[in-house]
Amino acid sequence: MTVNRREFITACGSLTLLGSPVFSARAATLSKRNLVIIMLRGGMDGLTAVQPRDKTLSKARPDIIVEGTKKLSSDFNLHPRLETFYDCWKEGTASVYHATSIPYTGRSHFDGQNLMETGGHTPYAEKTGWLGRGMDAAELQGLAASLPMPLLLRGSNDLDNYFPTWMRLPNANTMEKIQASYSPGSELERTLDRIRHRPKAMMQEVGDNKPHELARVAAQELSREDGPRIAVFDLDGFDTHAAQGGSDGEHGEQLNNYDKVLRVLKDNLGDSYNDTLILTLTEFGRKFEQNGGYGTEHGYGTAILMAGGLVKKAEIHADWPGLKSKDLFEGQDLNATVDARSIYCSAMAACFDVDFRYMKRHAFWDEPLTDVTDRLFRI
Amino acid sequence: MKRDFFRKMGFGLGPDDTVPADPVAWAESQVETVPELTWPGDIPTAKHLLDQRAKFVYTDRKVIRKKFKNDRRAYKEAKTALRWETGEKYYESLEIAIRHHTALHSSAPVFERLWLFWHNHFAIAEKDLLACWNTGAYTREIIRPNMCGSFTELAKAVTTSWTMIHHLDNSESVGPNSKRGKWRREEGKVATVNENHARELLELHTVSPAAGYTQKDVIALAYIMAGWENQWTKKREECNPVRFEAKSHEPGNHIVMGKRYKQRGLSAKSKLIDAIEDLCAHPSCAEFISTKLVRHFVTDDVTPDMVQPVIDAWRATDGHLPAVYKALIRVVYEHTGTHKKFLNPEVWFLQSVKLTDAPWPPAPGLWKYDFKDRPNKVQRRPRGLMFQIGHPVYRPKQPNGWPDTEQEWLSPELLIRRLAVAKRLAREHMPIGKLEQSLAHNFDQLDEVIRYLKYCRDNPETWRSTSQDTQFLLPSEWMLKV
Repeated sequence: MTVNRREFITACGSLTLLGSPVFSARAATLSKRNLVIIMLRGGMDGLTAVQPRDKTLSKARPDIIVEGTKKLSSDFNLHPRLETFYDCWKEGTASVYHATSIPYTGRSHFDGQNLMETGGHTPYAEKTGWLGRGMDAAELQGLAASLPMPLLLRGSNDLDNYFPTWMRLPNANTMEKIQASYSPGSELERTLDRIRHRPKAMMQEVGDNKPHELARVAAQELSREDGPRIAVFDLDGFDTHAAQGGSDGEHGEQLNNYDKVLRVLKDNLGDSYNDTLILTLTEFGRKFEQNGGYGTEHGYGTAILMAGGLVKKAEIHADWPGLKSKDLFEGQDLNATVDARSIYCSAMAACFDVDFRYMKRHAFWDEPLTDVTDRLFRI
Repeated sequence: MKRDFFRKMGFGLGPDDTVPADPVAWAESQVETVPELTWPGDIPTAKHLLDQRAKFVYTDRKVIRKKFKNDRRAYKEAKTALRWETGEKYYESLEIAIRHHTALHSSAPVFERLWLFWHNHFAIAEKDLLACWNTGAYTREIIRPNMCGSFTELAKAVTTSWTMIHHLDNSESVGPNSKRGKWRREEGKVATVNENHARELLELHTVSPAAGYTQKDVIALAYIMAGWENQWTKKREECNPVRFEAKSHEPGNHIVMGKRYKQRGLSAKSKLIDAIEDLCAHPSCAEFISTKLVRHFVTDDVTPDMVQPVIDAWRATDGHLPAVYKALIRVVYEHTGTHKKFLNPEVWFLQSVKLTDAPWPPAPGLWKYDFKDRPNKVQRRPRGLMFQIGHPVYRPKQPNGWPDTEQEWLSPELLIRRLAVAKRLAREHMPIGKLEQSLAHNFDQLDEVIRYLKYCRDNPETWRSTSQDTQFLLPSEWMLKV
């Protein structure tokens, strides 16, 4: 079943009546807000994306210095291939949280990616994702731009997914006939019903599952008043052990892929961009020093890139730990001074219009996270 | 006789198969011994595939990364060539062909369904290129030969296999008081166990959390397991046979779930073997796995009544698997018709092929490959198809494998893929009358199935099946659930 806007408000109302401090009274008057999470798999290097203006960095990475960076503040520069992000920054709809990480200090992609999605501490111990739990708590529907449901969204009951195939689909008449074989009222029938009532744009055969193509459809869906409010993307390839390079290196290439998705989202969201928050998520940052292959190894602290109209202002948030070897985590990685889950929990609170503490309880087991909602987001 | 049983316990009967007179006896006769793989083409050994992997990881990590460190494009080109040379994009597809050919042509389809079950029980997640060279071979050489002995032997073989050890990081485990642990601390490095494998051995492979073990038990088991590793060498990295490395093993006795494990004889190897035996003999192990079997074959809504006969057979025989399978077969037969199970994409696809006699997988003659370029379109098809239906079997995201309940498999996009595959299979020619034979072999509610197919064709006076019917039959509830 699709939870539309009206039912969502009803649900809030009943919860409020029960005396729950959960939903703010403003929910009913606000326009629909969207949350987009872009997962950057492989370990996005915060020090390459948003570089501290610190000479120790160029000493540690003499062969992968990025030229042509854009100045964001007196302390930080932006990678030149984050062009759209820079446009957003200039108009005040992009910000950065630097020196942050999920609470995971091992250096395994698999464990790290598992934890960035579950939000837990022990790899594979949790079977649901933090966004799924948050959506479930706020009774929202989401759209995954992937075929299997990402772990990040598990735990929510109202999920749709979209991932075009080159295979030809049966026509409307055939699907109607097939539905006759499904038990009335079954989950199977509801699923086929949802497919049959999909917008045309989601029912075309496309051989192209490039992220920016998925972003176009997702943006159209998110901008519909009764469409989903959450979308999740997957981008691979940030694991640059070799030829990470400077401006035109492999890490810049991957950052540019993210930037393209951001561009397509911004262009296609239209006015809804003003009510949207687009956040990145990665398993860890990369080592401070370059390796022998002009790349970097797995590290710890990194940055979260935030864009969208719900961003409060163009600003770099960080309790900067410094880059001297005593400042580095285990003497080798950028340290994390804030738990990244504080930012995600705050983003859910802001976008779903629920209280931070309520979200923290439902999505993150009431762990001691910091409420940064007011600092980071326009609500 | 219940004909739905042929699909519930196997892959269904083909249009030209004879219908067994006694379905239960038919099924029971298939689980005593391990049948041969049916694939008539070449089947690479796990050892050969590990060599290919070794060549890939060594050349990538130690040679071309350095050689092209300043040239992203040249590095990418060199890596692509390396992929072709080592068959990185070839073997996974071939493994699926071998697997599907065997499922469709084996004289023991019930055994083959169980093979797929055990693979998913002892799942290898999509991690570190394992799907490219190792997971398929692991299902053939580790799981399959151990399916008709005791569960304990199967669990031992899996736990000490190269693939599982790499998958769950046991080579990373160093006992803090081991020789290697001491050396590492002297060098200022961390020396500790990696709990991954121990935790999954308890949680996923044997007793399950229902046994009530604690974090202390996990650590103790990790100590026992420390030292079981894939030997690392300069030229092959981690791609060497499993061995027990006493220098990494945590010395002393360790207590897991109230039982103390100590070295017997000259090698501390025995500690893990003893621990596996006890875990497999634990009542929770029989309950957990029997329930999982019943859930897979009978229904998502398992009741204690359904599982009890399987547990009883397990206990009576100390987990002798053929006895367990036979009890399961009787339970499945008993509930055929009253309880339905939503089939996962792969099993549904194989049944669709079986009933429509579609040409699948690509024949052995089409697998010649020169390792110089991308595998051709036909060779890429099995792997591509599994991705398309959302069930790339060697790539579950987590060590708990693919989900096994209807809700997890019912997303709009996953259902769309089945509709699309059905439409493709409908393009294959089927001689007139063949589908009727399949329907008659496989459905207890034959009249209703035919009434549905007639409705789909706007109720013609007389109805003969054509290949067009398959696009209605395959994604219908008749085929999705049995």
